[in-house]
Amino acid sequence: MKMGAMSRLRGLLRYSDAGCLLIFSLFFPVYVSAQTPVFEIEIRDHLFYPSELTIPSGLKVKLIIYNRDASPEEFESFELNREKVIMGKSQGIVFIGPLKPGEYSFFGEFNPRTAQGKIIAD
Amino acid sequence: MISAVIIVLREVLEAMLVICILLASSSALGINRRWLVYALAAGLAGAFSYAFMFNDISQLFEGFGQEIFNATMLIFIALSLSAYNLVAIWFLKTGRITLAPGLIYLALISSVSFAMTREGSEIYIYVYAYGIVADNISTVVSGGMIGAGIGLSLGIFIYYGLASLAPEKRIIVSCVLALLMTSGMLSKAVLYLIQADLLPAQLPLWDSSNVISESSLMGELLHAMLGYEANPTAIQVLVYLGSLLLFFAYFWLRFDPVSLLRRHSLQRKKS
Repeated sequence: MKMGAMSRLRGLLRYSDAGCLLIFSLFFPVYVSAQTPVFEIEIRDHLFYPSELTIPSGLKVKLIIYNRDASPEEFESFELNREKVIMGKSQGIVFIGPLKPGEYSFFGEFNPRTAQGKIIAD
Repeated sequence: MISAVIIVLREVLEAMLVICILLASSSALGINRRWLVYALAAGLAGAFSYAFMFNDISQLFEGFGQEIFNATMLIFIALSLSAYNLVAIWFLKTGRITLAPGLIYLALISSVSFAMTREGSEIYIYVYAYGIVADNISTVVSGGMIGAGIGLSLGIFIYYGLASLAPEKRIIVSCVLALLMTSGMLSKAVLYLIQADLLPAQLPLWDSSNVISESSLMGELLHAMLGYEANPTAIQVLVYLGSLLLFFAYFWLRFDPVSLLRRHSLQRKKS
């Protein structure tokens, strides 16, 4: 009868299949390296130095961004899916990757016309 | 000045959508609009406080304070929106509001104020640094006003679009939109945690930026409304779909929509 099926289903869903799926997703291919490579970018006069940064592809990479300007900047990239506001005379850390080989552009949201750069994964 | 327009527009858009959907929907539930005043006040206060303490907050948690605070706020908004959604659906089924008015106000006010805190703080940081400190106030403020105006117009357009629907349809449409926004926010929270290396990093599952680019206007709108991502990772997709499925499962079991629809079509046949 419909009622019986419903209460059985209710019992099953009580154990939250979605929760199990979520935990399962954490074991999808994860690129674990013994040590995460570290790269640095500087913001000076509303420009990124270096404006082109080459990183290894397929690896998670730690990016330290130093803001040497007094004004804040927002490191943002649609292609990398990252955004972080870095206050003036401060620094921020952003993890990127793993990335397929290619070029990924980023920009400073507060100075989009000058602060531009790209990450090259190879 | 264009930068100011775009920056303010992007930030205003997301908060605006939350406000408009909740405003349209709560009026259909017969909730007094007074909550909006408190929500706006709380949102402004939150935005100023967050911006004021931004550097200190950012340096917390080994430099990942920003990601953790943003993720937490997004999760709070998602929970508040879901709570409100449940109240709205109960109203559809029973015709009554089954939660204490204080708690409903709390859900509405927290959704809006957290959304405003997150977005507003960025606007304030930008305007303060590039307008006030840089002695460039008129350019930045006029650009910001234009951006805010565009965001406001879009919001008003959506509000009146929703308000033109009959109350029942309005609640259903608002609930669907709010549900999609909730899933989008949870997926965005997950993205912040991935950025801070608190969740595993993965290759993106797909790349749809040649179909709808996130930097295009359509992409921005979809991102604000539904949490559209051009290249999401597996965890983000699973959280998005998982939260949608969870809510639908709860809704289906708790509210028995089949009988609800049957009852409504019977009523319609009678009249």
